[in-house]
Amino acid sequence: MKNTWGEMSTEIDKQKKLTDKLIMMMTKEKYNKTLRRISIPETIGTVICYITVLLILFNFEKLDTWYLQLSGLLSVAILIVLPILSLRSIKKMNTVNISKNNIKQTLIDFNKGKQQFKNVQKLGFYMSFIILIVSLPVAGKLMRNKDLFLEDTIWMWYIPFGVIGLFLFAKWVFKYYMSSTSEAENILKELDN
Amino acid sequence: MQHKKEFITAIKENEGIIFKVTSIYCANKEDQKDLYQEIVYQLWKSFPSFRNNSKISTWMYRIALNTSITHLKREKRNGIKLELDQIIEYKIDYKDTLIEDRIKLMYAHIKNLNTIEKGIILLFLEGKSHNEIANITGFSTTNIGTKISRIKEKLKSEIKK
Repeated sequence: MKNTWGEMSTEIDKQKKLTDKLIMMMTKEKYNKTLRRISIPETIGTVICYITVLLILFNFEKLDTWYLQLSGLLSVAILIVLPILSLRSIKKMNTVNISKNNIKQTLIDFNKGKQQFKNVQKLGFYMSFIILIVSLPVAGKLMRNKDLFLEDTIWMWYIPFGVIGLFLFAKWVFKYYMSSTSEAENILKELDN
Repeated sequence: MQHKKEFITAIKENEGIIFKVTSIYCANKEDQKDLYQEIVYQLWKSFPSFRNNSKISTWMYRIALNTSITHLKREKRNGIKLELDQIIEYKIDYKDTLIEDRIKLMYAHIKNLNTIEKGIILLFLEGKSHNEIANITGFSTTNIGTKISRIKEKLKSEIKK
């Protein structure tokens, strides 16, 4: 095997394919890409969350009962905290010190970051159950000036449909979560062997 | 300017390393092009901190392997992909097709190894000493010896199948 590898290496080393221009193009292309790397869906999600937070805060006086105010505050808190946690965990995952670390340390750091990211995703999923309940009355009050807590019919279809939707989403998230967690566990096992 | 020239020279002299690392860590040509770019970018980013304490090739292996194991495949790339086609198409013009088949078989077996084993066997096949491999990977020299023996056994039994 070593001989075969050696013969292949000699052939590869004979062939110089990179040009100065191509090398520099690669570094520039990657630079632009890195700027885009703060994951686009997360960034768009954060912007949407913060616009919603501003809308709730600017119209907070319209929430005229304690339960609507509580719903408003819960919505604001979740919409502020979750995107920060999410963006922080993405940043952590992307800032593994590739140039200084050895392979073992890189794997440990990267997997730690990945686990943290998955934990935030899991937390986000649980929070979405709360958002499901509290956002509707807030939206109803702010957009149509209606106290939806006093209306039974809307809850009769909103809660079952919402729960079914979230349940299906949960199944998908859980599957994804389990596969990446076991992948991370496998890598850590490889390190111990 | 001098820095740029030094970087280009270093990359050109060791371009085979990037090709070999990408070829064992990627399942298809698209991924390989992505990873190739990512490695060159990471090398460029880390080049100012390279202090000649180690050989340039050792430094390159470390960055290339670290980049490969943390590479996020989902990112879409565009731009210079087409020009990269020629880079990953090394034409190994052997008179004997038997050698070509052996290379393909060797790659197929290496690709079945796990992330760490792939890195270790690559460094071993590249003729790195146990000490150098230990330095790049972070495992102890004795541990590297054990791991190499285990990988060899694994490959042997794979080849026998």
